[in-house]
Amino acid sequence: MAAVFGFKGCQKIRGPQIRNLLEAKDFFLFDCDGVIWHGEKAISGATAVVNSLIRRGKNVFFVTNNCTRPRENYVLKFSRLGFNGVILEQIFSSSYCSALYLRDVVKVRGQVFVIGCDGLRRELLQAAIPCVEEADDPGATIYDCPLAANVKAVLVGHDDKMTFLKLAKASCYLRDPECLFLATDNDPWHPLSGGRILPGSGSLTAALEVASGRKATVIGKPSRFMFECISSQFSGVDPAQCLMVGDRLEVDMLFGSNCGLDTMLTLTGVSQIEEAQEYRNSELTSNHSFVPDYVVDTIADFLPAFEELEEQSS
Amino acid sequence: MSGSKCSKLGGILLKQVLDSVDTVLFDCDGVIWRGDQVISGAADVINRLKEAGKRVFFVTNNSTKTRTMYAEKMAKMGFKVAEEEVFGTAYCCAIYLKNVCQLQGKKVYLIGNPAMAQELAAAGIQQTGEGPDLICGQQIDWANVPLDPDVKAVVVGFDQHFSYMKLNRALQYLIRQDCMFVGTNRDSRLPLEGGKAVPGTGCLLQAVETAAQQKAQTVGKPSKFMFESLALQFGVDRERCLMVGDRLDTDILLGSNCGLKTLLTLTGVSTLADAEAHEKSGCTERQKMVPDYYVDSIADLLPALQA
Repeated sequence: MAAVFGFKGCQKIRGPQIRNLLEAKDFFLFDCDGVIWHGEKAISGATAVVNSLIRRGKNVFFVTNNCTRPRENYVLKFSRLGFNGVILEQIFSSSYCSALYLRDVVKVRGQVFVIGCDGLRRELLQAAIPCVEEADDPGATIYDCPLAANVKAVLVGHDDKMTFLKLAKASCYLRDPECLFLATDNDPWHPLSGGRILPGSGSLTAALEVASGRKATVIGKPSRFMFECISSQFSGVDPAQCLMVGDRLEVDMLFGSNCGLDTMLTLTGVSQIEEAQEYRNSELTSNHSFVPDYVVDTIADFLPAFEELEEQSS
Repeated sequence: MSGSKCSKLGGILLKQVLDSVDTVLFDCDGVIWRGDQVISGAADVINRLKEAGKRVFFVTNNSTKTRTMYAEKMAKMGFKVAEEEVFGTAYCCAIYLKNVCQLQGKKVYLIGNPAMAQELAAAGIQQTGEGPDLICGQQIDWANVPLDPDVKAVVVGFDQHFSYMKLNRALQYLIRQDCMFVGTNRDSRLPLEGGKAVPGTGCLLQAVETAAQQKAQTVGKPSKFMFESLALQFGVDRERCLMVGDRLDTDILLGSNCGLKTLLTLTGVSTLADAEAHEKSGCTERQKMVPDYYVDSIADLLPALQA
């Protein structure tokens, strides 16, 4: 696709070029944090962009590694921030997809030991996946903790109540090679507003990988699985007609690349254009998968292209 | 020593090897004890080595005891050992922070345990953070957690109270304040009696390193620091020194890195098959983890010491 528009990787595009992209693509996949909102604030122009895409009959999906809330809460957030008409079915979070993976791919028979927050547990519960009770035996110590029976998988996600005891229990369950080791995502840290960051699921997963000597299967971006969830639920999803819009090179751009989608980096989030250029200039071919096809300063840059399309059709 | 590696030590060879060394270094977990259970014959070996005029030291990555606590544990088990002969990572980390990082009179953020806090205090270094630390408040509070401006380093050792909040504080110190980053060791598991094990310091360190996207300096084996501290304090001749351990990737690798003779004992983590796999690998890095000799247990040294 990039060749059709005559661009090499990593080029900033504007009005007419974005207009061509809008006409060529039917499926728009957006990351959320740093792309359409920062915390509780929509990025200026983002609501107009998303609402316009939906009005024009484009298929819009939201693909996020944030596993802290169930999809119902996301629907409320979209509405609260002014994104009209975004429904549950358009939202693909790593917690929802982890539940799908356990239910439909693994078809788990037995319990799941979850290191994660309420949002993750609720998605699993909604998919009728039994989770080991969170509350600890009062007498439990790290040297002597009772283990649940029939644990067939350990799932790690963002957990602000993470303790050594949970790490110890999880590594005991993982001694059984038949017990699966899953992670919602591998993000080492999550950005908050104001340039602050917090430890991410990736740091907790790394601890458990060292403890168990095993590598986790990652559900979220950059793994392909979330795209496979979208394709299995919606007909006619052709990678060539998709555009993945994200703010993290090593997560969103790599995800797009892994799924054969065109990618667009927006500069309102984590990654800077200089980082993208470094990857592009790198001798390591594996780094090229992090390079976006297109770059915009903000997704609000779509708006002039919509106006042009309006003018054309009138 | 030229010739083949990984030879079983016994008979004449054992006598020759013991005669060729003046100093013997022992790892602890899996070598002289397992948890609170002494390895049969271990106390005899240590005591007789000393009687035969050898110097004996203990070099352990376990950061949960001070030198005093180790000496007490050893005395209870019948080892005739003085505090100064024990080099654990709680003590060595404090020495590293004092001498290498120049932090005497300064403060660190500690993910660790009371033994580390004690050794730090003895080295004139203050700490904040030791003990339980559970989450409260909202996400934005955690990211804006107040930082003690006097903290000059983040230090990570074994901490049974490890929590998300501690991980978060360590991350905030490392990225918001210009801090050094030191870990005691990278062992993935801490072995206990009865073959049980708990996640080791290596897990906690990896969590902090991943979140902060920074690598820590580590004090423990296979890093040379503990041997070099010991050698400096006691004037050890590397050519006449034997390292005895149960882990190929810490004890034996340390021995190789420091030019010592190495002896693997099979009462702990690594197996003979592990050693042979490294030997057959043809990879120079892995060759460093092949011991010169091995025994089933250090009690196998007794026949040469009873004469």
